[in-house]
Amino acid sequence: MAHLAHYREAHPLPYVITHWINLLSMIVLAFTGFVIHFPFLPGIMGLCRGAHLFFACLVLVNMAFRIFSSPFIKSAPNMGTREKRQDMFVFLPQKDNRHQFGAWIKYYLFLKKDHPLSGKYGVPQKLAYLAVIPLTLFIAFTGFCLWVPTSDWLLMQFFTDLVGGVMAVRIIHYWTMWIMIIFVMLHVYLSIANGLAPLKMIFLWKEHGGLVYDPKTKNIIGEDDLGEEHA
Amino acid sequence: MVSKRSSFCSGSATRAAACRSQVDLVTSQPVNTAKLERMLSDRGISRRRFLEFCGAVAVALGLSEAFAPSIQEALAEGIVGKAEGKLIPVIWLELASCTGCTESFAQVDTPDIATVVLELISLTYSETLSAGAGFSLEEAKEETIANGGHIVVIEGALMEGWDGNALRIANEKGTEIVKHAVSTAKAVICAGSCSVDGGWQAAKPNPGGAIGIQNYLQKAFDAGEISSIPPIINVPTCPANPEHLVAVLIEVLLLDRLPVLDRFNKPAQIFGQFIHENCPRRGHFENGEFVYQFGSEEEALGYCLYPMGCKGPQTKNDCPIVRWNRRVSWCVEAGAPCIGCAVSDPTTNKRNWVDLNSPFLKRFHSINIMNYVFQPATLAVAAAGLVVAALAVHGFGWKISGRFAGGAPIEKERAWDIRHPNKAVSTTMRKVAAKKDRVLNAQLIKEESEEKYFDSVSKAALASQAEGHLARQQANPEKASDTNDNTDQTQGGE
Repeated sequence: MAHLAHYREAHPLPYVITHWINLLSMIVLAFTGFVIHFPFLPGIMGLCRGAHLFFACLVLVNMAFRIFSSPFIKSAPNMGTREKRQDMFVFLPQKDNRHQFGAWIKYYLFLKKDHPLSGKYGVPQKLAYLAVIPLTLFIAFTGFCLWVPTSDWLLMQFFTDLVGGVMAVRIIHYWTMWIMIIFVMLHVYLSIANGLAPLKMIFLWKEHGGLVYDPKTKNIIGEDDLGEEHA
Repeated sequence: MVSKRSSFCSGSATRAAACRSQVDLVTSQPVNTAKLERMLSDRGISRRRFLEFCGAVAVALGLSEAFAPSIQEALAEGIVGKAEGKLIPVIWLELASCTGCTESFAQVDTPDIATVVLELISLTYSETLSAGAGFSLEEAKEETIANGGHIVVIEGALMEGWDGNALRIANEKGTEIVKHAVSTAKAVICAGSCSVDGGWQAAKPNPGGAIGIQNYLQKAFDAGEISSIPPIINVPTCPANPEHLVAVLIEVLLLDRLPVLDRFNKPAQIFGQFIHENCPRRGHFENGEFVYQFGSEEEALGYCLYPMGCKGPQTKNDCPIVRWNRRVSWCVEAGAPCIGCAVSDPTTNKRNWVDLNSPFLKRFHSINIMNYVFQPATLAVAAAGLVVAALAVHGFGWKISGRFAGGAPIEKERAWDIRHPNKAVSTTMRKVAAKKDRVLNAQLIKEESEEKYFDSVSKAALASQAEGHLARQQANPEKASDTNDNTDQTQGGE
């Protein structure tokens, strides 16, 4: 067993739920967005526009909850431990992440053979997750530049004029969605790169055993097979 | 005479003020109306048709049709006033254009009210419409400019190419003609999209350096070539809709005020809402009933033209309400997708409505980078495809190196820690370093005691550890204080 154990403390139940909401919303948003861009399926335009707006707002509310609840919900500062601390210190860069960016890049490019030690997430992984926050805000903002009831608000109008009109905003909104899609592709690939066990955790909240990490010493201190055999 | 009453209201004049000025008009003499009706009936236009026209103008001005008599009154005063030589003169300059905007006025098989009214208004100079020609006409123009206070209507784009020689009229550069004509003007009306943003002439690659009037005048003003810029009213679309032009001319010439303008100096009443919002095919859009191919059954059913690249959802104009060709029909009603000719942005020369909206039958405009022309979707799919390919290659490497099954072993210590043991992130690493250095050991324990998030078991363990250290310190206080003093130096030296 070369991987860290995955305990429920790493993903408290509220955040398993927010992850589900994000997943479903993103699928609906991408699909309805494609229909709105070009109605390849006739008959559902009105439905898609309504759903697109609803799920966009849902994603924003969900993200606000995820961020603003983080001081009040505790989660494990790393895989392989049941210790907990305020979640805001877990999704922001940790001391455990320090000096590891180069190591992670080398590891991904096969220039480093052993798996880098890290905080809750690897450095590129954590940067990608943090980048999703402004990316989501930006794509939502461009969406509200296009939605007529908010399109003439001062900030939206300013942005629309800045980039050169509604057509330009539409293209930016579209490209930003593709950046999201590329993020999801990388996210899924790296999540399952070490086996399907992480999926069981984030979707089904099922633990799996592995190495035990000590946040105090910031290193591996043992192994926990949860009392049974694990592949 | 209305024009005596006031100079122009500012662009932000409220509708209430506008209505007051309209109500005032009702009290003026009805004598002129009778005179005007005689003049119109001489040209084959009945009173009923004239009143309909006045109602349409009132609507275009943002007033109720009930104001038709006021418009009629104003027109009567103006036109009769012109016969008495009191009206503001208009110069119609035709620059780089297809003459379509003039045609839009003048191409009629029966006497058209708008045309007649415009003819009756004092159009002192027009390359196409003026009966006179040559020297005498140019002289009349010069005289008008010298007297000042006139309105300049500009059709077509200015050409800056080859030092302004790309457009020469009557042996003079277009740029000089415009600068001269607006120097004493009361207002400039840019009729049609070419004069607003350069239009077709300014579309890539724009070798002649076509430019919109507002943009050019701003540049000339910034360069100190003209001392002031008169108020500019942009009336885009290709060609300019005569209903819009007549409404604006009547407001400027007869009511003697500027229309309420938006941030692009377009009349806000006309260019305030998206075409999509008032489109007669909007119901089909909501139902998801679309035309995917011309000549199809869906087209015959009059379904929504959205998939055919209709730009109605991003173009602000009142086409569905005012319509074209004397309110007979308009593009979308006639079965053609909107090509967005009203999206002209007069503030920049970087883009014009043609570049912004072409290809007209696609939902997105094409991107042109280094003469590679492609659709935004192509670039997005290519980028995503590249990532998929990279991940596939990476996945093979991942599998070959055995990282899928079991994965790579986790490093014993961070590589950086090994190189910098005294500043290591991992405490285990620092303990190794500390074995050789008592200073580090003391510092390590101090830092550990500051960590607040351990569970109670860890805290207790830490406390006992710290106590043990404290006991050692008390046993040998002299050495411990020495080491504390040196802490910073040791760190700095790393």
